[in-house]
Amino acid sequence: MGENQACQSFLPLLSAYIDTELTPSQRTQVERHLSACPTCTLRAADLRAESALVRVGLDIVADEVDFKDFPQKVLARVTLERPPFWERVSLWASETLAHERRTVLAAAAVALLALSPWLWLERAPEGYAQKRLEVQAVSVDPSQMPSVQPVVVKTESGDAIIFLTEPAAAPPNQGEREEEGGLAPAAPQDTPTGGEL
Amino acid sequence: MEKNNSCAKVPTVLATDDLTLVKRIKTGDQRAFKLLVERYQRKVFGVAMGMLKDKEEAMDVAQEAFVKVYKYLDYFKADSSFSTWLYRITTNLCIDVVRRRRAMRGEPVEFDETLALDTSEAHLGALGSRLGTNPQKSALRKELAQKIQEALEQVPEKHRAILLLREVEGMSYEDLSRTLGVPKGTVMSRLFHARSKVQKILSEYLELDEKKVGVGSE
Repeated sequence: MGENQACQSFLPLLSAYIDTELTPSQRTQVERHLSACPTCTLRAADLRAESALVRVGLDIVADEVDFKDFPQKVLARVTLERPPFWERVSLWASETLAHERRTVLAAAAVALLALSPWLWLERAPEGYAQKRLEVQAVSVDPSQMPSVQPVVVKTESGDAIIFLTEPAAAPPNQGEREEEGGLAPAAPQDTPTGGEL
Repeated sequence: MEKNNSCAKVPTVLATDDLTLVKRIKTGDQRAFKLLVERYQRKVFGVAMGMLKDKEEAMDVAQEAFVKVYKYLDYFKADSSFSTWLYRITTNLCIDVVRRRRAMRGEPVEFDETLALDTSEAHLGALGSRLGTNPQKSALRKELAQKIQEALEQVPEKHRAILLLREVEGMSYEDLSRTLGVPKGTVMSRLFHARSKVQKILSEYLELDEKKVGVGSE
């Protein structure tokens, strides 16, 4: 088989010809040449066979591989490469503040309003902001000096409030003191004896 | 012909195209990402295997390609097809590996594209006549598959990438040009070089093999 000089110009087109990537006019020229050139016809057949071989050969290799866990392995690598949690939180926070400022401010205002009674209550020591105290027991220590009479009051939470009183007047009856969980107002005196908070 | 009016509904998962899955992945849908991986895993592995010849390395590169897809999905512009982008990532990863190997062996990293085309008539018709129109019958031989791998290894990586994308994915020359960032004329030329090289190696092997074992073509 002698090589035709014309074959040289058609050789680079043979690959594109078997891939059907030639323009219509190019395809016509190649087909005309192939009809007259057994050498190039054999070359085209070889190219087709080689193309199919590569496809099938790679299929054979892929058939031997188990892809069952492949997506999970990819996801495991992806998860490992995610930024740390705090970095993601800070990214989310900065993005939210940048793009949802009004929503964030409104949510903060609502939260503040909802929490404010609790916050105010928390400031005052217990007892001073409460409407009434639940008094569990009242005791008076008679062994103390007559000028001072400590009064110990225990509340539900266990706190003890000590009132020092002068025994100018007879102490009120115990029953009066334990009225409805609050200290009954003391009888009018010149000196204060303690009373309802 | 009687018309069938009871149209079976195509399950959504089968009808979901790549771009729809991409949109879902961007919202954090890992199931959509898993579907996309399953759709392309075999072909991506095939390209990587053809480029690298080593199964472990090909598996690693194939996984890495999908990891990059996940990481950089926000940068994917829907003006090109997803597969084009995926294969670009895959071939770039493979070319990096090949170049690293070559550098470690002390070989030149870049291939001289001005090498003359081999148009000898030796082994002309060997492949075509040996395999006929049914290459699968012959290609079922494992050693032939291995020979194909060896032949591919002798093709420069840029040419190899084009050949593999054409054969594995059936990419058009237009898509190949976009994927690899080279003009269409370059695609044509490289593909022809790659095929000629592989064809020559396989023809020599098949003729030798035929002489050894006397096996017929089909």
